[in-house]
Amino acid sequence: MKRTTFIAGAIAATAALTLTACGSDSSKSGTGSASSSGAGSTATIASKLIMGGPPEFKTRPDGLPGLQKNYGVTFGKYTVTDTGGPVTVSSLKNGQIDAADLFTTDPAIKSNGFVILEDPKSNFAAQNILPIINKSKATDGVKKILNGISAKLTTSGLSDLLTKVQVDKQDADAVAKQWLSDNGLATTGSDASGVKLTIGSANFPENVILAQIYAEALKAQGASIKTTLNIGSREKYYQGLKEGSLDLFAEYTGTILQFIDKTAKATSPDDVYAALQKALPPNLIALDKSSAQDSDAIVVTKATADKYSLKTIADLAKTG
Amino acid sequence: MISSVITWLNDPSHWRDTRLNTGIITQLEAHLRFSGIALLIALLIALPLGLFIGHTGRLSWLVAAANALRALPTVGVLVLLTVMIAPNFHGRTDTGYVIPTEIVLVLLAIPPILSNTYAGVQNVDPAVRDAAFGMGMTGSQVLLRVEFPCSLPLIFSGFRSATLQVIATATIASYIPLGGLGRFIYDGLAQQDFPQMIGGGVLVAALALSADLLLAAVQRYAVSRGISGRISKKQVAAPDSRLATVTQAEVATV
Repeated sequence: MKRTTFIAGAIAATAALTLTACGSDSSKSGTGSASSSGAGSTATIASKLIMGGPPEFKTRPDGLPGLQKNYGVTFGKYTVTDTGGPVTVSSLKNGQIDAADLFTTDPAIKSNGFVILEDPKSNFAAQNILPIINKSKATDGVKKILNGISAKLTTSGLSDLLTKVQVDKQDADAVAKQWLSDNGLATTGSDASGVKLTIGSANFPENVILAQIYAEALKAQGASIKTTLNIGSREKYYQGLKEGSLDLFAEYTGTILQFIDKTAKATSPDDVYAALQKALPPNLIALDKSSAQDSDAIVVTKATADKYSLKTIADLAKTG
Repeated sequence: MISSVITWLNDPSHWRDTRLNTGIITQLEAHLRFSGIALLIALLIALPLGLFIGHTGRLSWLVAAANALRALPTVGVLVLLTVMIAPNFHGRTDTGYVIPTEIVLVLLAIPPILSNTYAGVQNVDPAVRDAAFGMGMTGSQVLLRVEFPCSLPLIFSGFRSATLQVIATATIASYIPLGGLGRFIYDGLAQQDFPQMIGGGVLVAALALSADLLLAAVQRYAVSRGISGRISKKQVAAPDSRLATVTQAEVATV
């Protein structure tokens, strides 16, 4: 008797699985027509391409839905790779995918000759790098030093620094010092003398380099500096900024705004910067933003860009 | 939460493929393919090896070495192999990701099959083995006709635990860009879509349990009744049946 119940159980389980499988098989015919109508009679460039990126890019407002809404771009297929990591880079390089979601400062873009497609409609929110500082520590001297850094910081310059640290395995502090002297910012003086600052950084190389740049420049101008590097995610360190245990942090306009105000809609660099200044708590202020951005970007190989003559994301919606 | 998981599982749009999403059916097929290939390769390697080691008693250090494989961090090996293998494959192919996945799953499946096969053959009653040799059987006849059938219950239990492990672990194929039911778990987490994530987990568990039940049913019919001790009362009670008296005695000792 035991045996019969056992076998019955096994059969029931397999039957259940097969039945559910069959049940949905019949509905499959309905999708075939839907997907072919999406391609239309004149196929767009995007419909011939496979896009790759993180899983949430499929559903994120500035991911596939945003590309469709802002540019009318609908890719032929989406393959989940990783979040701007090695799998995405190697998949794009080896042709498993044709377009990828990478970060603009990623050294792999330059080293592989990838092409960043311009985003004129600001589908991706601006992510200008800027110092967020505690109001009580923002003396005129400190402001002058930090704004001087922001004036010189560019996306490609930052990408070069990242290459030195990530690819050539150089020390972040040494790279920061070198950058300051290359840009004529390594001047010693007393602009920040008497100011005591604690500088923090998140736990990724780019943010550590930025914190070191701030630290070295302020130190050279007489400030006494304490650094707390590699703290972790924004949830962890933002509290410290707010409560005053951290005084200075290199931030990204778009993500910090989104973090403080979940409903923020601004996407262009100036709009985001203005909205951020309003959204910050009273004890924190945002200094000048730099032109350097570490934002999401749609990236293609040189070969793909040449083949379809792609310059901006909008070109993907053309027929070709 | 439970009701939203059921809703997710019941939504037909989650079962079929759309342009940007791969449905449960396709992912289930992919999952079964990864697991099936890995189990087949592992069986082809571990079963003959286990029989050989158990029968001859030679190379028994291999079993210990294979058991050490269990300590390998699966995701670490997968990423390492992917970084080494994937760049060698160009164009629209996922071979560069399938090979590392299969290697990792085979490494996972070999130890339970190998050590159980070895232990099964080793632990065959020496009296039975001696009797077989005494009847004039050759070494390979003893192995295939006496030792192998006698060790089947243990071999099956090894294969079943390998199957469970492989089906559950095949979800990591989604860590590198492959399909399988793990896709729903990873994507659900990244998209903060928890019904999808739990739904994926439920599907993996259901698949693993059904596979185990199926193998249990196969085991019932494959293993000799003299070994499993499943003799109906009528047969045991029959006083004139030699088979029955033997098994009756066996049952009594157990």
